[in-house]
Parts: sequence; structure tokens; C-alpha cells
Amino acid sequence: MGERSFAEDVKQLGYGAGEILRGEGILAITKALLQSGVSYVGGYPGAPVSYLIDVLADANEPLLKPLGIYFEQSGSEAAAAALLGASINYPARGAVTWKSVVGTNVASDALSHVASAGVIGGAVVVIGEDYGEGASILQERTHSTALKSSLPLLDPRNSLESFARFVEEGFGLSEACHQPVLFSIRIRACHMRGTLRCRDNARPKISMLTPLGEPSFSLERINLPPFTYQMEAQKFEKRLPAAQRYIVEHGLNEHHRGDEPDVGIVMQGGLWNTTLRGLHVLGLADTRGRTAIPLLVLNAIHPLVPDELVGFLRGKRRVLVVEEGMPNYIERELGALAHDARLDVEIHGKNVFSPHGEYVPQLVIGGLRRFLTAGGLTSRSATEIDARYAALTAHRTRVRSVLPQPVAKRPPSFCTGCPERPVFSALKILRQREPAVGDTHVAADIGCSTFSTQAPFNVGNSVLGYGMGLASSSAVAPLFGKRTVAVMGDGGFWHNGLTNGVANAMYNRQDSVLVILDNFYAAATGQHHVPSTGTNARNETVRMGIPDALRGLGVKWIRTVNSYRIAEVIRTLREALTTRVPGLKVIIARNECMLERQRREKPRVRQAIAAGAEVVQPRFGVDPDVCTGDHSCMRLNGCPSLTLRENPDPLREDPIAHVDETCVGCGVCGEVAHAAVLCPSFYEVNVIANPTRWTRFVARVRRAVIGRLAAVTA
Amino acid sequence: MSDARLLSVLIPAVGGQGGGVLLEWIVDAALADGLQVHGTSIPGVAQRTGSTTYYVELFTEPDSGAEPPAFSLYPVPGALDVLLAPEFLEIGRMIELGFPSPDRTTIIASTHRLYSIHEKIATGRGVYPIEDLHAAARAFSMTLYAFDALALAREHGTEANAVLLGALAGSGVLPIRVDAYRDAIRAKGVQVAANLRGFDAGLAVATQLRGPAEAGAGSSARNGTRSEPAPASAGPQTAAAADPALEQRMAEFPAELRPTLETAIARLVDYQDRRYVERYLERLRPFAGDPELARVVARHLAVWMTYEDAIRVAQLKTRASRFERIRREKGALRGEIVVTDFLKPDLDEIYGILPHRLVAPFARWAERRWPHGRPAFGQHVKTTTVLGYLRVWMLTLLRPLRPISHRAHEEHARMDQWLTALARCAGWDKALALEVARGAQLVKGYGDVRRRMRAHLDRLLASVLRAAECEGANGGGFEASRELAARYRVLVLQGPDGEARAAALAERVLTRLAAADRAGALAALAEA
Repeated sequence: MGERSFAEDVKQLGYGAGEILRGEGILAITKALLQSGVSYVGGYPGAPVSYLIDVLADANEPLLKPLGIYFEQSGSEAAAAALLGASINYPARGAVTWKSVVGTNVASDALSHVASAGVIGGAVVVIGEDYGEGASILQERTHSTALKSSLPLLDPRNSLESFARFVEEGFGLSEACHQPVLFSIRIRACHMRGTLRCRDNARPKISMLTPLGEPSFSLERINLPPFTYQMEAQKFEKRLPAAQRYIVEHGLNEHHRGDEPDVGIVMQGGLWNTTLRGLHVLGLADTRGRTAIPLLVLNAIHPLVPDELVGFLRGKRRVLVVEEGMPNYIERELGALAHDARLDVEIHGKNVFSPHGEYVPQLVIGGLRRFLTAGGLTSRSATEIDARYAALTAHRTRVRSVLPQPVAKRPPSFCTGCPERPVFSALKILRQREPAVGDTHVAADIGCSTFSTQAPFNVGNSVLGYGMGLASSSAVAPLFGKRTVAVMGDGGFWHNGLTNGVANAMYNRQDSVLVILDNFYAAATGQHHVPSTGTNARNETVRMGIPDALRGLGVKWIRTVNSYRIAEVIRTLREALTTRVPGLKVIIARNECMLERQRREKPRVRQAIAAGAEVVQPRFGVDPDVCTGDHSCMRLNGCPSLTLRENPDPLREDPIAHVDETCVGCGVCGEVAHAAVLCPSFYEVNVIANPTRWTRFVARVRRAVIGRLAAVTA
Repeated sequence: MSDARLLSVLIPAVGGQGGGVLLEWIVDAALADGLQVHGTSIPGVAQRTGSTTYYVELFTEPDSGAEPPAFSLYPVPGALDVLLAPEFLEIGRMIELGFPSPDRTTIIASTHRLYSIHEKIATGRGVYPIEDLHAAARAFSMTLYAFDALALAREHGTEANAVLLGALAGSGVLPIRVDAYRDAIRAKGVQVAANLRGFDAGLAVATQLRGPAEAGAGSSARNGTRSEPAPASAGPQTAAAADPALEQRMAEFPAELRPTLETAIARLVDYQDRRYVERYLERLRPFAGDPELARVVARHLAVWMTYEDAIRVAQLKTRASRFERIRREKGALRGEIVVTDFLKPDLDEIYGILPHRLVAPFARWAERRWPHGRPAFGQHVKTTTVLGYLRVWMLTLLRPLRPISHRAHEEHARMDQWLTALARCAGWDKALALEVARGAQLVKGYGDVRRRMRAHLDRLLASVLRAAECEGANGGGFEASRELAARYRVLVLQGPDGEARAAALAERVLTRLAAADRAGALAALAEA
């Protein structure tokens, strides 16, 4: 399973002390989990941390099982957070992972409960902070969750060594303060390739091989009054102070004294790399990050340690806080501490940077320059800094003179041969050709299918959370007086859609249409298994079916269609939208994710061809002289392999349609041309490699006859 | 404190192009050469077929056990050493974002294009101007290697990423041995032989491009652009103008029209017959006095007169050369092919080929009965089988009946409308006539699409004629009419949203002109 094979990575996870692991940030984190002696690991896949689940799944047989570590790909982030419940009563270390902030939102209920009850075994949540460039979700930070639930939050410097160290410290911290610890990692850091000097994996004291004796019961760990009051008090009287002590004693935050007497920079650990690069390009640091400016690197951004911060502020005139996201908790805290300690120090931060958005280099460098040239450094003059800045940016003013038009946008979209795309072709064609039926509110969902809202489909009026599409249209249909359509993937269906969507709709007797895109995997995250895949992440057979689940909830109107047959999909949609049958109508549009299918098929076909076997491969094409270049097909199809090329006809000027060699022959171009009655330009061609004698004979006879006929009219 | 020990490589790719593998090759090669290196990418759904970037930083000093380098996860605009682009539009995007700098950056780029969806969905030409990208790549690089890596990759049965890795090695901008790259490809273990061939091809191109430029120290642009060959057309392009009578007729037209006329005549003969050519030249003659206008009219009229009715489609689909083209394009030269055609003529297209007198009443009824979306008859025809071929081929036999067909009646009536409007406009203002002539570009597509596009030309002609009448009556030039004709066409060619805007614009301009508010009309046009 998974987008890539992790055999090599799994081997590295088994490395012992002193061996050098080469790989990505996530791999270093996974290795550190094993070095920390975890008893259980789990999580819900989602970029940027889905790869952690992939590696663990592949490592389950060779590595985790022999160590007695329990692994599961949880049903949702809520289930993953609840997994940490094992550490409430038992001194077992455990870790879970998910993408944040959305995953944290889903997990909140369980997470708050664990945070309230407290843990006796170290519990770490690896948070993939899906924020900034490359994020695929709404933009919020996880910081506030840590604050409200009193969870220590680590945001370490970006290097594999640092990640490994802070995962291990995370367990120590968790055990010292009896709180689960959030370990946050940024998007690019997850797939940052580097090296890690390994330590031996630790065999967990409690494991499937050395099981627990008897259940532990303590009323004090039950989230019910009066103990909940006690737990709340403990958080602030015992647990957070213990965390602060641990942070100081283990030197989690780094203080570089520097030579500049008056200024200093406080930063989140995760922003160390960008900040130091900024200082470097402005001539204030070398490539190893050595600088004259005093720095306080907060690898633990919650809880903050007041003494540490005041110590840093003392004696300085101006301090800059490099803190991503709003609200700016750290900056405010510093301001309040400076005030309370009556320090005469200016705190800058959001005023020189942008108040929101990812802290990318151009933003950080601009802010550093503003801060550093305003106050006067001893080691560099403002003029020197400005000159450095100008050298970096001068060329940018000339961009529009060479590129007068803005460069065409290129949003992510459905892959070549994607089985979800034709469903949106069908919805668009139905909307265009029969607006009375098809022009209705469409509630989109999270997953690859969210791309339906982009060009060329622009289908989907709202996106509201994973598996929440159907629920999000509950009030729309009655207010419209018309059936609405909700679309969700199989991943979303099992995650949240079954209960919050289908059960809710059945319970409230909603009269609407749900389209489930069943492509056998949670494809957006990298073809992770879902309950209806047939096997779980540990490759054990699981028999859970979408139709069975629907029937179990009392859904009567269920149709399963082949998603590539657009005419059939349109017919079924029309029926669902117009039938007299009341209640929820569910269409399951099925076909395997093409990425996964090609990953399996391509090598097989290559081998077969190399072995000389006759192989038939369907491909599509456009007759260049039949196509008139109106591009209607592009507006209804959107396949990457359906593209443009220059018109071979010297009398015409507009480019024509062209199916390039990446076509996988799914047939959607032809289906679209047919269903929307576009043009006769498309043809399907079965390319037969290594034809047998019989195939060649038949082809020869046909060619002879056809050649004669063609000669008559030529 | 110097930059020299740190080198940065940004790879702006399109999701699915293998940018991740390219990054891993570079990182692995650098590690193999004992360099400290790190690379980052953006995972997951955010990159599916969209713009995505990969980034590598190399520390050129060997690992001495000292403090490790402070690697950045992101490239810094203006502080980039290498921009390695597997697609050419992405170069433009990176330049827009300020990444490459003419003082520092080596750009190594494949010049092929993967069109973005926004370029594809325009009804006309929505493609970003490639010349602008070339100019920008030259202007924003210290050194430029630009060549079609994809074409080269295809020659060697691999992908552009392997070829670009070779070019990176050949450029010598990174302190990594050529063999270290090769070892990285081998170590990855995927399609090793093909990738090594691609690598060597890219290496050769870059080495060759590097050679002469190195010698002539002045020039820094190493632009090895190759232009994309257009596919050969199936139609017979040989001029039927060997015919002395036609030769004589052609002499009546300005000499610069000759290439266009030769192509047009060959096409018309192939489509119908000699007499049809006579009709074409007859229609064109009134414009012969103005070569510029005549060329535009000649082009559009030839295309329009060879409108794609069912007979024409059958003719094009049953050419022997067509099957040869398919075999070539689909890489089946040594294999066999079975071709299935997706045909779905609608009612108009079916009765269109029947005699006008016979079907006119029915056609009128059908148009009322189904104003949009006439019934259509879908079929999948295997045109490489004898029976399938016959089914389509038989249609071509109806060609002699075409001149009296219902479709011919309809199409020629509209062509005449256009030509009449043109003649009127030519009488008023030459530039206006030219814009109106270009309007015929709108006539394309099949079925509903063609009807919609034709209606747009109707509307363009009607609006522009009315506008010109207003402007003519008030004296003082035809600027608004001319501009309306141009804007209307451009908007419609942008796609469905543009169509609505075009119609609204025509409305606004006409209202202004009717109120003798020419300035208002021009303002509305300037806004659109």
C-alpha cells in the first residue's frame, strides 16, 4: 500500500547505535519513536504526516510485531486520540499522529479528556501542521489547542537530529508533567531529506509480548466531578510547572548569547532555519547559523518559562519575536512579562512581519531588515543591510516588463484516468443540458474530490470538513425546495460521513442525494486503506462494505454505477434527483484509484511486453483534421493527458485537442464527447504489442479490403 | 561568512512529473560525494497535477564534525543558484515570484509545455505566449540551458527528469561528479537502463551547449530551443493549382495570397470538386483589391466552405493515411491497432446531408421542437474492421449530393450573410472590414456548440453593422464598431463566461451609440 515502497526505509528503522539513517524528517521521527520504547502507535493518515502511517504499516511485520508494539491505522483522528487512553492508567508509552488543524479538531473530544485525566505513560502526538505553501486545508494553527488543554507543544528546529531528539524529549516531558505532548512539524520539514545518527531501538516494558497484568482503576482519573475540578487545578499547580522545570533542566530551549548588546531575537524553533537564513543573506550570520545577534530559540512553545524569557529580555532595548500565525501568543506573553518585570524593552513582531500567513523567507527577510535597520547594530550598519537587501530584490521590479501577462495558474486537479473526475463531468453535463434537474446545490467534501470545485468543473458550492458534505447540505435542501447533491469519497464516508452524514440524514428524514466516490482508498493522502478496501493497514482481511453499512442504517435507494460510464452516471443522477421515492438516495460511483492501478499494472505490462506476450493497451486519440479547436471537451473533461497542440491546418489558428502519450485509456474522453454530444474527433485505439500470427493475419486481411475501398474514394 | 559554500537548487515541477525522484537523485548523488545536503518537498494532494516545488541545498564543505549547516527549508528569492525546471511555464511562475536572479542563477529548463487547465479551456488560444517565457528565462538567468527535455526523454524511453539530471551534471554548476549521479540512478533501482540513457542524452546536450559558450566568454545564453514539429495533416496538401485554368484564375489575386489560395484550393477540391473552387474564388474576388483583407477572408472562407458535415467526417475518418498516422502517433508501428470511433451525430447532422427540399419542413419543425440539445444517435464504430469501415465509408459516397443538401443551404446562406456584411464594412472602413472578417473564426465546433458559436457570429455581425450605421451617421470614424468587432470575438473565444460578457458588451455599446454617446461606447469597450 501507499504511494511509495518503504522497504529501504523499514530497513533503516531497524538500525542500531551509530548507524547513519538517510531519509526524510518523518522517518527520523518514526525511528525516534522506536528508540523511545513505545508500546503502541497509531494515527490517521493525512498530509504531511501520512507517510508516518505508511512506514509504520510496512514496518509492522518485520519490526513492530517482534518488539510487541501494537500498531493501528485509526478510523479517524478521534479514534487515534482515544488510543492515548492506554497511557492514562498504564505506564505505557504511546504515540499517535494526524494532520492539523483539522485532525486536531476531530480529535478534540478525546484529546481534552486525556489532557484532563493526565497520563502516567509518555504520550506524544505528532502533529503535521498543514499550514502555508502546499497546505490543502483551511489555515489555522494548533497553538490554541495546546493552550486551552494545557498540552506542552514542541516546535523544534528543522533537522533530522533535532526531530529525533525532541521526540525522545517529548516522552520524557510527558512523563514528567503527566500530560500528553504535542510535537508539531511543518509541511516541508516532513519531507526534508537529511541524515540521522541512530541509537538502538528500545524494547517496550509493556507490550503485546509482555502484557499488562490486571486493570487499573482510580476514580481520580475519571472525568467526572468532583475530580474534574481537581484535574483542572493539577494542570496549573503541578503539571505545567513540572513541564517548565523539565524544559529548563533539559535545555529544550536554546539561548545564544551573541555580541550585540541591545537587541535580540526570540523565535519558534521551527522558524530557526528561515530566520538564520534571513540573517545570513543580510550579512549577519554565516552558513552554519553563527551570528552576533543574541537568539532565544523556543523549541518548546508551550508552556513558556517566564524566568527564561525575562532573563533574555533583561538588559536589551529591542527584541524581535519571529512567531508564525495569529494570535501572537508568544509576543503578547513577552510584552506582559516585560511590563510586569518593569523592563524597558521594545517588543516587535507582528508589526514588522505580516500578521498572518506562513513565514516564508521573503517575509522574514523583509521583517528582519525593518527591525535591524531601525535600531542600529554595532556589527553592521543599516546601509550595509539595505545594500544586501537591495541586491536580493532589485531584479524583481523588472518582472512585469518581460512577463506582461500574469503566468497562468495551475491548480492541483484529478490525475490522468481518475475515476472520480467523470462523475463531475456527468454533474456538469447534467447541469448544462438539463438545468431544471441538474442545476442544484452541490455540497463537496474533503479529498481529491474537492478539486471538483476548481476549473474546469466548478462543481461544489461548499466544502465543510471531512465526511461532512451531506450534513452540510441538511438545511440547504429544505430552503431550496429542491433536492441537493452531496459528494463524498469513501475515505470521508468511513471517517465521519457514515454517522454525521448518513445517520443524521436518515434520522431527520432528509430528501436528498448522496454520491459516494468509491475508489477503494483514501486516495488524497496516498492510497491509504479504508474499511472497504478489503484489508486494513496491517494487511489483515476486513469485510466491511459501503452498501452493507448503508442498508444497516436503513437506506433503501442505493445504486452502484461504474464511474467511467458517464451516460449511466447521468441517468442515475437524473433518476435520483427526480424519482418520487422520498428520503436519502445514495449513488455509489465505483472504480479503483488510477494511480494505484497504474502502479500495479505498469510494471506488469512492461514485463509482459518484454517477455513477448501479446498485450492490448487501450489509448485515446483525436483526429487533428476533424477537431475544430473549440475545446468544449476540455471544459467538461479536465484530464491532464487531454491537452492542446498547434493546429496542423495552416488555414486555422486556434490550437486543437490532443491526447498525449500519458493517456491510460480510461475512455472518459470518448464518454464525454458522447454524453455531451460534442464532436466525432475522438477515437479509441487498442494498441496491440507483440501481435500473434492470427492477429496479424486478420489485420492484414482487413487492411487489404480497407485499402481498396479507401483507394476508390481517394 | 560567505555564500560560496552553500548552493541552492529549486525544482519547479508539475505534480506527477517525477520531481520528487529528481530531488532524490540529486541528494543521493551529493551524499555519495560526501557533501552535506538536504532537500525538501511538498507532499500529498496539494501537488496532484498542480504546480509544486522541490528544493535542494548543498554545503560544499566536507563534513568536519563542526556545527552542521543551517539549511533552509525554502528557497530565498534572489539567492538561488540553480533553477532546474522540468516544464517551461513554471519558469515563468518562479520568475514572477522573484526566485532566479540574473546575477546568480543558472536556469536549466525543458522548453516543452504542459498546459494548465486555464490555458486549455479557452475557446480560442489561451496558451501563455512562449516567446515571453523564453525572453524572461534569458533575462533572469546568468546562464541558460533551454531545450526540449521531454522530446529527448521520449526518444530514449524515459522521462524529462532523467534528461534534466544529465543536463544538471553537464552544466557543472554543482560540485558533484557525473558518475555520482549515475550511481544515484542505479541505486534507486527504477527503470535504470532507460534513465541512464536519458541522463546521458541530457549530459550530452548540456556539455555541447556549454562548450561554445565557454569559448566565447561574452555570450551567456545557451539556448538550445528546438521547435515542436506540427503533426502531418491527413489531407492532400499538393496544390490542385497545376490546373492551367485555375492557375489563370489565381493570377487575378495579389501574389502574396498565393500560398493561402493553394492550400485553400487543394482543400476545396478534396472536399467537393473544381466547381466548388470556382464558387470560392468568385466569392473572394470582391476583396482582391486589398491583400490584407483578402488573405483573412480567403482563409476563413476556405475553412467555412469545408464545414465538417457527416460526409466530411466520414471522408477524414476513412483515409488510409489516417490509420498510418494513428499507428505512428500511438507508437504501434511494430504492433497492430484496432480503432473505435466515437460518433454521435445529432438530428441536424443527419438530416443535414439530405436534400434541402426534402427535409426543410422537418428541419423547421425539429428546430422548434428541440431548441437545445437535439436527439443524437451514439455509436461506437470499429473502423479498422471491414464492416465498421464500410458503415462510415458509405457516407462518403453521398458527396455528389452535398451541394443540394439542407446543411449546404444553411451554411452557404450564412456565409453570404457574412460576406455581405464584409462588403458593406469594406465600403466604410478597411480596418473595420478586417475585424469583421476575423469574426468568422467563431464558426467552429459540432452540434450545439457550432450552433451557439454561429449565433455569436450572427450577433457580432448584427451589432457591428448597427454600431457602424450609428457611427457613420454621426461621422468621425468607426473606432467603436471596429473595437466592438474585435472585443466581441476575443471575449467569445475566452470561453462561456466570456460569451455572456460579449453579449452584454454589445448591448451596452449599442445603447451608448444609439444615444450618440460615442465616448461612452469607447469607454465601455476599453473597460471590457
